[in-house]
Amino acid sequence: MSSQQVPSSLRELLADIFEVAPEEITPDASAETLENWDSFRHLQAILALEGEYGIQFDPQRIPELTKVSLLQAELEKKGVAL
Amino acid sequence: MQTDLDRQNLRASLKEAVSSNDAAAALSATRALLSESQKTTDTIFCASRLLGMSEVFVQQLGFRKLSTFAVRSVTLEPIVPFLAIQALFAGYVLDLQLGGFGSYVDELLNPNSELVRSNSDLVLIILDIEELAGQLPELCATGRNLNVDTEIQSSIERIGQLLRTFRSNSSARVVLQGLAIPDVTALGEVADANLPFSLPVAIERVNRGLAALCGSISDCVFFDVDRVSASCGRSRWRDPRMYLASRVPVAADFFGAYAESLVRFVSPLFRPSRKVLCTDLDNTLWGGILGEDGPQGIATGSAFPGNCYLEYQQYLKQLSARGILLAAVSKNNESEVREAFSQRSADLALTLDDFVAIKIGWGEKAESIRELAKELSLGLDSFVFVDDNPMECEAIRRQLPEVEVISAPVDEPWRLTGILARRPFFDTAFVSQDDMNRVHEYKAQAQRAELEQRFENRDEFLASMEIVCTFQSALTAPLARAVQLLAKTNQFNLTTRRRSAAEVEEFASSQGGQAWAVRSRDRFGDAGVVGIALARTEGDICLIDSFLLSCRVIGRGIETAMLAQIAEQAVQDGAKRLIGEFIPTKKNAPCASFYPDHGFSQKESAGSASVFYELDLTAAPVTSPVWITVEGNQSHELSAGTVLTS
Repeated sequence: MSSQQVPSSLRELLADIFEVAPEEITPDASAETLENWDSFRHLQAILALEGEYGIQFDPQRIPELTKVSLLQAELEKKGVAL
Repeated sequence: MQTDLDRQNLRASLKEAVSSNDAAAALSATRALLSESQKTTDTIFCASRLLGMSEVFVQQLGFRKLSTFAVRSVTLEPIVPFLAIQALFAGYVLDLQLGGFGSYVDELLNPNSELVRSNSDLVLIILDIEELAGQLPELCATGRNLNVDTEIQSSIERIGQLLRTFRSNSSARVVLQGLAIPDVTALGEVADANLPFSLPVAIERVNRGLAALCGSISDCVFFDVDRVSASCGRSRWRDPRMYLASRVPVAADFFGAYAESLVRFVSPLFRPSRKVLCTDLDNTLWGGILGEDGPQGIATGSAFPGNCYLEYQQYLKQLSARGILLAAVSKNNESEVREAFSQRSADLALTLDDFVAIKIGWGEKAESIRELAKELSLGLDSFVFVDDNPMECEAIRRQLPEVEVISAPVDEPWRLTGILARRPFFDTAFVSQDDMNRVHEYKAQAQRAELEQRFENRDEFLASMEIVCTFQSALTAPLARAVQLLAKTNQFNLTTRRRSAAEVEEFASSQGGQAWAVRSRDRFGDAGVVGIALARTEGDICLIDSFLLSCRVIGRGIETAMLAQIAEQAVQDGAKRLIGEFIPTKKNAPCASFYPDHGFSQKESAGSASVFYELDLTAAPVTSPVWITVEGNQSHELSAGTVLTS
């Protein structure tokens, strides 16, 4: 899949946190594929997304959201206009 | 919140500054962006851009690198970018390593732990209530359980053991975080406030105990996290969702405030506070313009708005009590200013005697401040300038960039004290006896200068001063003062090594080591500890590691008396040669010829920044000047651990 499918605001934000080029933030990018996506950067990403979009994730769901497409879907489900 | 376009522009200007490797521009772009946006993403954006520039900050702006190790029991990872940014704002490049969650006891106790081996400049100890005093919430449930006291004592004793053991293995500076008082408890807020052993009361006592503990350990500062929690709002300080799910100790909204406060507590361990506050008079120290309104027309006193100015004067008086020197710098006629101080004395919290200097005239204020720096033998980086006139403020910022400038809000005089109090430049972790005597000491200095003018012959003048030097082991002298001197002395400092208290103790207690603190007094007063010398004899060579003297007393022969003291002790320790080292800096030119002036010959030194000098102790003894009376140097045992070798 091409990186075009990830909205640019989300892509840049995650690129900053995981310290990779924005092109690497594809829908399939995940804790498995990105070396920097460890549990702490994950927490950082979650807090950053919450602050950026003014939403709160369900703590039960947080550990499962370790893939860009899942994060994006969760944000959209919460009504965030990406 | 600004528009998204502004945000993108600010981000772009940061990127541009980073790509052109301009540290000052990058920092001001970061300030601009983060003062507009509280969003985590912007802090992360800035931190990740600035991270790659660490060396540039050190080279271009002289920032100090702080290798730091955090011993912790909570999740600090999301806060790291905030700490990095706040450290940069305060002039430090933070290189932070986080310890494991459960390993704090081992890190602190084990002499081979990762922490000890990391050889960090700074250690942050950030523990939660479970680790610091885990029994307290249960013990405090009734609010009247006397066992709470015992639990508090044993908690503090346990942390004390950890800290003292760590101190014996490491000379790193330490910041120990206290506890934040919870917003709500099962006992309820009424009983919390009224009963002697409620959790909030107990936590306050734990914090007081930890603070006292830190005060008893060298280079250790207590971080009052409860204060920042209270100022942000205790009810919102912790996000229970993130605390319970991931042990994040602070709500994301306050990462920045927390980091700023933590850095503020770190800073006094590495940097001395500023020393002088220069205040304007018209519309700053009092309301109105003296030249137009006359002494009776200026606003000061108990009625509004004069009480705004009275509050500012009282604040200055309190600063002065702990050693901050006050100077009045104003464009006025001096006779009118004197008249105002005498006519309105009942309405003013300050008298002219509270000022170490009065610079009243019509010349440039920058020139007055330069003069004052010279008279007080202080660097411009010790000065703070307060003025209501934007032009004057801008002129000082341009001409004397080292000086901190505070713009007094002329239309809202009630805000000035708060603006001043929130700035960290007068922060210090302790107040010494010398600090409290400082104003008197600087006045005595002015009297000395006056006396000096009456003598034509320097030796006669010095003899008339009746100088007495007392040599003490740095272990018996107030160690905090010694370390304060090591940290702040720039001009007469031969090597400018910022030794910590633990390192000074090491010199004092090791065999052949010398760690002298010199007190001096004369007919005008007691200047307290004015000089420090660290040296070590190995075999027949004594090497002087550090040698410094407060610039207030340079040129009276005290430096020669110190050298004589080291030489005498070195001979007793078996040394035949005394080696002096000089490391040139931007500021220490005044002592460049110190060793040659005392008969040392320069040694060949290959490619190092240091210049080494040597004196043959068997041929040329160093003698103390005749006009100085020396005390305390015969008590050989003062320097613990030195062994007579002859």
